[in-house]
Amino acid sequence: MIRLYNVSKTYAKSKTKAVEDLSLEIGAGEIFGFLGPNGAGKSTTIKMITGILTPDSGTIEIDGINIADNPIAAKSIVGFVPDNHETYETLKGIEYLNFIGTMYGVSTADLRAKIDEYATLFDLTDALPKMISTYSHGMKQKLSVIAALIHEPKVWILDEPLTGLDPQSAFQLKQLMRKFAKKGNTVFFSSHVIDVVEKLCDRIGIINHGKLVAVDTLKGLRANKRISLEKLFLTLTKNGEGQ
Amino acid sequence: MKKYLSLVKLLFIQQFKSRASVSGSSSKKRAGGLVAIIVILALCFAPMLISMAVAMYYMGKASNGNVYIGTFLTLSCQGLVLMFGLHAIISNVFTVRDADKLLYLPVRSPTIFFAKLTVAYINEVITTAVTVLFVLLPFGIGSGATVAYYFMLVLSIALIPMLPMLVACIVSMPFSALIARIGKNSTVKTVLRIVVYLLIMGAYMYAMYSFGFFAGSESGNILDNPEQYMQDMVSGFIDRLSSVMPYFHPNYMLMSAMMATSFTGWLVGFGITLGEHILLLGVVFLVSLPFYRKMLTFSVEYGSGGVRKLGKGQYKLGKNGIVKELMLTDLKRTVRDGQMGFQSFAGVIMMPIIVVLLYFFMGIADEGDTSFLQLMEVSKLYQVITPLVVLIYMTFIGLGTNVMGLYPISRENMSVYVLKSLPVSFSKILLSKVLVATAVMLISDFVTCLLIVLLLGVKWYFGLAMLATMSLMGFGSMCITTLLDLKDPRFGWANFQQNLKNSKNSWIAMLIGFLLGLATALISVMFIVWYSFTSVWYAILLMWLVIFGAMFAFAVVSYKIMTGKATKYFEKLEV
Repeated sequence: MIRLYNVSKTYAKSKTKAVEDLSLEIGAGEIFGFLGPNGAGKSTTIKMITGILTPDSGTIEIDGINIADNPIAAKSIVGFVPDNHETYETLKGIEYLNFIGTMYGVSTADLRAKIDEYATLFDLTDALPKMISTYSHGMKQKLSVIAALIHEPKVWILDEPLTGLDPQSAFQLKQLMRKFAKKGNTVFFSSHVIDVVEKLCDRIGIINHGKLVAVDTLKGLRANKRISLEKLFLTLTKNGEGQ
Repeated sequence: MKKYLSLVKLLFIQQFKSRASVSGSSSKKRAGGLVAIIVILALCFAPMLISMAVAMYYMGKASNGNVYIGTFLTLSCQGLVLMFGLHAIISNVFTVRDADKLLYLPVRSPTIFFAKLTVAYINEVITTAVTVLFVLLPFGIGSGATVAYYFMLVLSIALIPMLPMLVACIVSMPFSALIARIGKNSTVKTVLRIVVYLLIMGAYMYAMYSFGFFAGSESGNILDNPEQYMQDMVSGFIDRLSSVMPYFHPNYMLMSAMMATSFTGWLVGFGITLGEHILLLGVVFLVSLPFYRKMLTFSVEYGSGGVRKLGKGQYKLGKNGIVKELMLTDLKRTVRDGQMGFQSFAGVIMMPIIVVLLYFFMGIADEGDTSFLQLMEVSKLYQVITPLVVLIYMTFIGLGTNVMGLYPISRENMSVYVLKSLPVSFSKILLSKVLVATAVMLISDFVTCLLIVLLLGVKWYFGLAMLATMSLMGFGSMCITTLLDLKDPRFGWANFQQNLKNSKNSWIAMLIGFLLGLATALISVMFIVWYSFTSVWYAILLMWLVIFGAMFAFAVVSYKIMTGKATKYFEKLEV
């Protein structure tokens, strides 16, 4: 479902190589966890998959669609939950969802059904007529999750999705990710919470200094080293080791 | 003191905080372009500023450095400082958006307040310096002032903003309280901000006008004996000012010190004015601090809430096309943001105000006399030239003040990633931004054209021709400015108002407006000459058709360029 071939990205302003020669394949029905320390290149990779950043070299395909050749078709099947919450603060929650629904061509009836379903699930219905600027961090996160799902994407990409969520909502989100993947869709998410990655993911990728240092199932990663994922992560990302 | 200075530094730097977010743009190239724009625009504005300075020089000469006139000019400068600084006081000092970031610091609230006031004051000092340069400096030269005047002139740059700051605080307090209690309706808040701004601007204009500099003289016609006429006019003006100006005592004493001929006179004036200004500062602080504290508490305790709860499905979902939804969303976000809304819509009302002022100044006449406007209206060329002059002026001013079209990408700030992640073509996104900006500008254009027809007696069909031409000019120009902003946007700003001040976009827009105005003038000249010699009506019809055709071509080409480059520039944005 998601394919990255030798993708590299250097930010023009800082001249730092954020991602270097990254190749990765994630299949349908898979939950993929993307781990890495701060500044490792997780968000840059995610931004390239979602079309927010353009890679300097390499290709990215979503469900067989090359994002460089056909960005609109590729973006149409992706749902994205960003890590920052710099969203449309002066819109009301419901207005934001309506806007996103229109951009993705969702019919009014479907949009209403989806909003009802997810807003109830995340207990956000009462907050929808309020300005987003009055939302807490967790509420903004929930709104982003709903906005990412209202067009029924095939690929769901989440950047640090559990940050700021209350335990109930975090539980609901994890359940939702499992349900989404079971339908044959793909979940790609980055996280710092190793525990969650360990429990939720079918496969895990670890990135450090812009390079993919390991990618396998949890079992596969542990095969040679009888240690916890946390220890493995710390070993692989220590001072650029594992490159 | 250390905490206070750190806070001032932080708040001052914060208002300039923004960064370029485009890959591959060279800062040297940008700086070079900026210098070129500044030089060209300086040349464009030079005639106006020089004329003003020359007028002030002759005012100084004719009045022989009269203290009352000096006090009046100081007051005029303060009016400008107030107009430019009032919104900064409201948005930076009393709108306590940053309460949660500052309240947990181990700093007392008076220190925070004084730091905020200092930053607002520094901004006002900058405006004062510009006004002093073109008003009080030439006035002093004209009146043959002594060294004391120039020494005090430097000091006056620090003293002049005190009075406007006090007035701004007094006006801001009830207004900010009203805004804070008005609830969540941000649109009403923006409208209120613009109305208050208009009222203050109107009051300033009225006050300046009421002093009656243009009231004429008893010496008959100006053409018979111009020198005597001017002398009488200045004397009459001084008479009227002498009874009012001493009430503005800090200004009056400042000017007395500046114009003093003896050391004792200077020392007394200087001492009194300094004392009075310190007193003013104390009053500002004492009057405003309790209010600031109240606003601080209010903002923390009543930060959210007040919205009715919704049941399942109890909300409205609009069904719009993509471009319309993009436009509506953009408009809502702009109107609901206090600073952005004010900046975007206050500029648009400039042109209608200028037309009204023009009407008042040109329509002045004593009873039984013919006004300048009436004299002009009978000329056969009036109907031909007036719409063109206003059109050129509107293009120049209108484009430079239409914030909606100047910063369409920069105003997205860090949320620009939303636009980049949408499955919508970048050219559609840009088109929506251009259409919003053109629509806002069209409102201003419509009102201006209506006023020109109603007040200046221009025929309605010329008004219509102007409106049609201006909408094309606006659309084409907004395509260019939108593309320029996309090419080099400024993200990461904390204060939209200051971001505007530090950006070159409005200068570029004025330059585009200037070039379009120049093109219009060049096209129209030969038709006007043709008409003046032959009086054939189709010369004018042809003129408007050619201008309209040229602007249509400009709009089409600009749109093509914008859509052609949209993807390339959007892809370069690194957020």
